[in-house]
Amino acid sequence: MAIKASEISELIKNRIKDFQAAAEARDVGTVVTVTDGIVRVHGLQDACYGEMLEFPGNTFGMALNLEQDSVGAVVLGDYKHISEGDTVKTTGRILEVPVGDGLLGRVVDALGNSIDGKGPIESDHSEAIEKVAPGVITRQSVSQPVQTGLKSIDSMVPIGRGQRELIIGDRQTGKTAVAIDTIINQKGKGIKCIYVAIGQKNSSIANVVRKLEAEGAMEHTIVVAAAAADSATMQFIAPYSGCSMGEYFRDIGQDALIIYDDLTKHAWAYRQVSLLLRRPPGREAYPGDVFYLHSRLLERSARVNVAYVEKITDGKVKGQTGSLTGMPIIETQAGDVSAFIPTNVISITDGQIYLETDLFNAGFRPAINAGLSVSRVGGAAQTTIVKKLGGGIRLALAQYRELAAFAQFASDLDEATRKQLERGQRVMEVMKQKQYSPMSVGEMGLTLFAVNEGFMDDVDIKKVQDFENALQAHAKANHGETLEKISANGDYDDKVADTLKSIVDEFKSTGAY
Amino acid sequence: MAEKTTIARPYARAAFEIASAEGELRAWSEMLVAAGLIVNDPGVKPLLTNPHVTPEQVAGLVADICGKLVNKDRRNFLLLLAESYRLNVLAQIAEIFNRLRAEAENVIDVDITSVVPLDDKRKKAFASALKKRLGREVNLRCATDRSLIGGAIIRAEDLVIDGSVRGRMEKLVVDIVSS
Repeated sequence: MAIKASEISELIKNRIKDFQAAAEARDVGTVVTVTDGIVRVHGLQDACYGEMLEFPGNTFGMALNLEQDSVGAVVLGDYKHISEGDTVKTTGRILEVPVGDGLLGRVVDALGNSIDGKGPIESDHSEAIEKVAPGVITRQSVSQPVQTGLKSIDSMVPIGRGQRELIIGDRQTGKTAVAIDTIINQKGKGIKCIYVAIGQKNSSIANVVRKLEAEGAMEHTIVVAAAAADSATMQFIAPYSGCSMGEYFRDIGQDALIIYDDLTKHAWAYRQVSLLLRRPPGREAYPGDVFYLHSRLLERSARVNVAYVEKITDGKVKGQTGSLTGMPIIETQAGDVSAFIPTNVISITDGQIYLETDLFNAGFRPAINAGLSVSRVGGAAQTTIVKKLGGGIRLALAQYRELAAFAQFASDLDEATRKQLERGQRVMEVMKQKQYSPMSVGEMGLTLFAVNEGFMDDVDIKKVQDFENALQAHAKANHGETLEKISANGDYDDKVADTLKSIVDEFKSTGAY
Repeated sequence: MAEKTTIARPYARAAFEIASAEGELRAWSEMLVAAGLIVNDPGVKPLLTNPHVTPEQVAGLVADICGKLVNKDRRNFLLLLAESYRLNVLAQIAEIFNRLRAEAENVIDVDITSVVPLDDKRKKAFASALKKRLGREVNLRCATDRSLIGGAIIRAEDLVIDGSVRGRMEKLVVDIVSS
């Protein structure tokens, strides 16, 4: 951007004219020690917990330990210019980040500064990063679905708007892929997405952003990045910043989805900060409040009622509920879900999607373990058609798992058992889905109907996926409107069943698979 | 610094309670300030960590130098500190003691740094304004610093009121640079 010299001096002139510097009274302290971004400050008698502190060189910090004679604070950003004896001032403010529509399509750091090279963020509104979650009175139960576009999730572990659904699994099991697919599927559905990357490689973050841009999903997405090279403090505050950006949409009666990728690294960052602040270590060297660290964050994902939205917007938005759906990600080590952080987050969330290495390596992707994955509240939010047809899927898979051990003696089994096994195998095949290819409710309904009603029983297992693809292509070409109608209202009755049956029959008669 | 203050606090409190019971706040305060200066003297300081000198000997030395400022209680206090190897925190003890004393006497020390020396009229105006704001009697300590360019900086314990031209210019710089 080219700026003329006169414009610059004009700008500065205006700034000097508008500048107001009344003598202000501030609490002042002195830096005693600086270690790895942790500063101990003598004085600051009146500092508050979580208050922003001002260091020399336009650097800010946050007071985290209030002790009798000193304050332990973390520096936000570079701390190399801070030395012993420097003056620290209180600001009387809690840490804030910009929020609003101006952030959509942007990549920002944990403080809301743009890092995508597209210029400063246009926002006239900022919010504190730490806020208390909405209370009991202001909540509404979950009743609308978040469509992930993944057959296995939408049919077996449905997610509702305002729910917290954990994605858990070892490294390289497709956790981020599930999250990214979900973001892509929200295109044109009105759900704003926030992707918070914590402690990830910058290259991974760049890949995610590039993919979202390529799929046209960046327009409704904010990416908050605290990469592995950023200080532990930034990684620690990033989820709270992202949450405040999401809460903005929730509070004005819109729907938002936030993905924390991942909270394991967030807990590591907090552990580092806590140990440097000399807080006593507990289990696995995490501090005592690591549960509260995640519970207070995830509690802010909620569905709020009409009255709450009306109150927050001063009556500007009426008759709208707002929601912030949370999808935290946890990385386990060798499938150990009983480690400290996984058990904590499992107990906080409203269900989990459990991804397994073995399934992933066997080519079953998304590698969802249908037995261990649950959604405690999503059932109420599922669309009727997926709910009705998905019930059969869950049952078929459960029976299949029980009988799978006998699968190798298939020839000795009785007819009924063999049929159950074959159905199960086909359901397993159907649950496979390629990355970046989310399905609409109508498409999902058609596939689920075909496998549920036994239309695939006579299809060779190796051909099941081809059959499904060809069926979808056929339906899209000849019955596009019907599918769109099903997607729009999501109902399932005899009439819909008949329509679906006629589509499948018609397709099978062509034999084009 | 912070740790030393934490260590010094209980000693200062104990000394303060004895002193106020005896009604000898001033004498204690003078002794503590003097002792604090003595132990930080470059000649005395190495003795605190010298293994050939017992802490009791150092305490005796300090008491002797203080001379008339020391009575039996105060000598015992120095010996007690020596026993716990805490003579090095005497300066902090004196600081806390004086703060407690100021609180008890409802007085606060206020440092005013200005460009030119304040005349009596100004001093009076400052004192009355600060008394109103801080709710205590004010003990003004004035200093001058030409680098402030204009105005003054007031400091009362941790509270700093910066009304100097230099402070305002620094703020202007931050304001312009950060936007």
